[in-house]
Amino acid sequence: MALLFIIIIPLIASFMSFLLKKSMRGLSYIVICAYSLELVVVLTTIILVMDRKIYALNNYFSVDALGAILMMILAIVGAMASWYSIGYIRSEVDRKIIRSRKAHQYFILLHLFIFAMFFAIITTSPILMWIAIEATTLSTAFLVSFYNKPSAVEAAWKYLIINSIGVLLGFFGTLLFLYPTVHSGFRGFMSWQMLLSHASAFDPFIVKIAFIFVLIGYGTKVGLVPMHPWLPDAHSKAPSPISSLLSGVLLNVAFFAILRFKSITDIAIGSSFSQKLLIFFGILSIVVAAFIIFVQKNYKRLLAYSSVEHMGIVALGFGFGGIGSFAALLHMIYHSLAKSALFLLSGNVFIMYSSTKMAEVRGMIKTLPITGVLFFIGFLAIMGVPPFGIFVTEFIILSAGIGEHPFVTIIAIFSLALVFAAIIKHVVLMVFGDPENSLKHGELNIWTVLPPIILTAILIAFSFFVPSSLQSLLQLATMGN
Amino acid sequence: MNPLSPQFLFFLETVLLASVIFMHLTRKNFTVVFLYTVQSLIISGSLFYSSLMEASFLLMAAAIMTFLVKVIVAPFFFYRLIQKHRLQFSVSTYLNGPMTFIVLALLIAFSHSRFFKPLAIISPANGDALLLSMSMIFISIFLTVNRKGALSQMVGILSMENAIVSFAYVSGLETTAGAQVGILFIIFIWIIIASVFASMIYHYFGSLDVSEMKHLKEE
Repeated sequence: MALLFIIIIPLIASFMSFLLKKSMRGLSYIVICAYSLELVVVLTTIILVMDRKIYALNNYFSVDALGAILMMILAIVGAMASWYSIGYIRSEVDRKIIRSRKAHQYFILLHLFIFAMFFAIITTSPILMWIAIEATTLSTAFLVSFYNKPSAVEAAWKYLIINSIGVLLGFFGTLLFLYPTVHSGFRGFMSWQMLLSHASAFDPFIVKIAFIFVLIGYGTKVGLVPMHPWLPDAHSKAPSPISSLLSGVLLNVAFFAILRFKSITDIAIGSSFSQKLLIFFGILSIVVAAFIIFVQKNYKRLLAYSSVEHMGIVALGFGFGGIGSFAALLHMIYHSLAKSALFLLSGNVFIMYSSTKMAEVRGMIKTLPITGVLFFIGFLAIMGVPPFGIFVTEFIILSAGIGEHPFVTIIAIFSLALVFAAIIKHVVLMVFGDPENSLKHGELNIWTVLPPIILTAILIAFSFFVPSSLQSLLQLATMGN
Repeated sequence: MNPLSPQFLFFLETVLLASVIFMHLTRKNFTVVFLYTVQSLIISGSLFYSSLMEASFLLMAAAIMTFLVKVIVAPFFFYRLIQKHRLQFSVSTYLNGPMTFIVLALLIAFSHSRFFKPLAIISPANGDALLLSMSMIFISIFLTVNRKGALSQMVGILSMENAIVSFAYVSGLETTAGAQVGILFIIFIWIIIASVFASMIYHYFGSLDVSEMKHLKEE
């Protein structure tokens, strides 16, 4: 029953927002109630998954350990981004940047976006998951072009076209994966479990082609290089809470799809094929993103390229396998928390400085004291500075690779060093420089500060202490990967 | 097992492939949309025939929906877009004519190469038809990439979707009728959203030429 609630809550929230028309207060109440309830239901489901390993509603919806981890990330980041939206959108309406009709549209689409991601995680059907992932593109296209500026429309068009091609390639790969099941005479509802049980009957050649299409297809959505060009544009043009969801959750949901197919591929032909491909795309993403970050002038684009880099690290972790997979999954959690907080904070920075150029943002610690401190902490975390969890996960991933793939590991280490040098240079000036005198000082409102504080607090807490229950969930989730 | 004979399937795939090649050659937006309609008609007709042969009501419903979405709704949206913005001609491509031909030939050769040929084992009787639909997938992607017009890019993506559906049909990898309806619903929403974006592009840039969109580069 809990799974039904998980998908119904954002759907009802969207429908109620649709009915409410222009009442900003009403839209805010819906957000607060819906995502507080969603958090409780998701946490309950995770407890059930820990107990039973798989929690199923029926043949169509179920959650295993991997799904539970993704659901946890989505519930936390989704709640924080939605709560933050209350303050952020209200401020945009007050400053007459958008009309209240636009705010109304924003919340309807936000709930639909979250609904589609939950649906993708809990459905047992690869085809329904594909539909849900395509639905995330459709629900967010208007959010990317939210400000109706030529650059936002351009970013949204790029996002729509590139992702549609990518996801269609993923669909083709998915169809190829259905081949042994269909040819064994089965014509009914196709689930992951069924594909896994037929995996050994796969023709090795077809499974290879199918996995390549799936990796390129869903890899486009993950933002792996060279399929990444939509990502920095869409993430930098979308409103900050949407960027936080795109970067902190959607990339992981698309990676989740790749991992599902990777388990089937590994059973069919062994893990070496999928691992080599993940290592290739992983290291390519890290290196390209590192160089672009080094010359970046826009802080939202810098955050977006940092997501490309971190998805590369996750791909590298799963490519190395073993303890690397465990660390990659933990890295996903840390990255989601840190990057979502940073994107939300970038919204505060944008509201204060009215610019996304790093050169025009100085002295955040004086103008936005809480945002400034959190921004600095967030950047330390994503750079992988100890004692943050990302340091540990990167260290484990690189340790896992140094034995068998020393060349790749060394390139990754140099790239990470380059990212560190680039980010520290920019962020120190943004946070500790001297601000313009004309700027007002002080945070906007509680809604734009509390969600990033909560995300940073969870990040710090998890960096020092990973609960044993989460550890066992991670171990269960990485068993097949 | 596909109810249509391998020879007839091969003929249908040839027509489908020819339609995408003609999309590359034509200089009129109306013709591009007409070719897409022909493609969609062939696919929905094939699905309808299958549903009759299998006596499946759900499959028939999926075939009728395919017809409504792809043969009626999508062309309607596209024709309206063309008339609204007077977009009769859209000839701009990134590669010139001869280069386009060379790439088309290379893509067909690639899909018939050693790399994809073993895909024929999915349906040995229809191996050649399968490879033609692979060619259609690649040529549709190339249409989206090579054309500067937003409308042609949209048709390129929808043609790619048709190519994948035809591959699934020929190989017998069709999904359940329920899933087909879900996919059609997504395609339907996609058409509406892409049409709205095309109008927005026209509003902001004065044409549907996506090469005019340079704001992201300039920032």
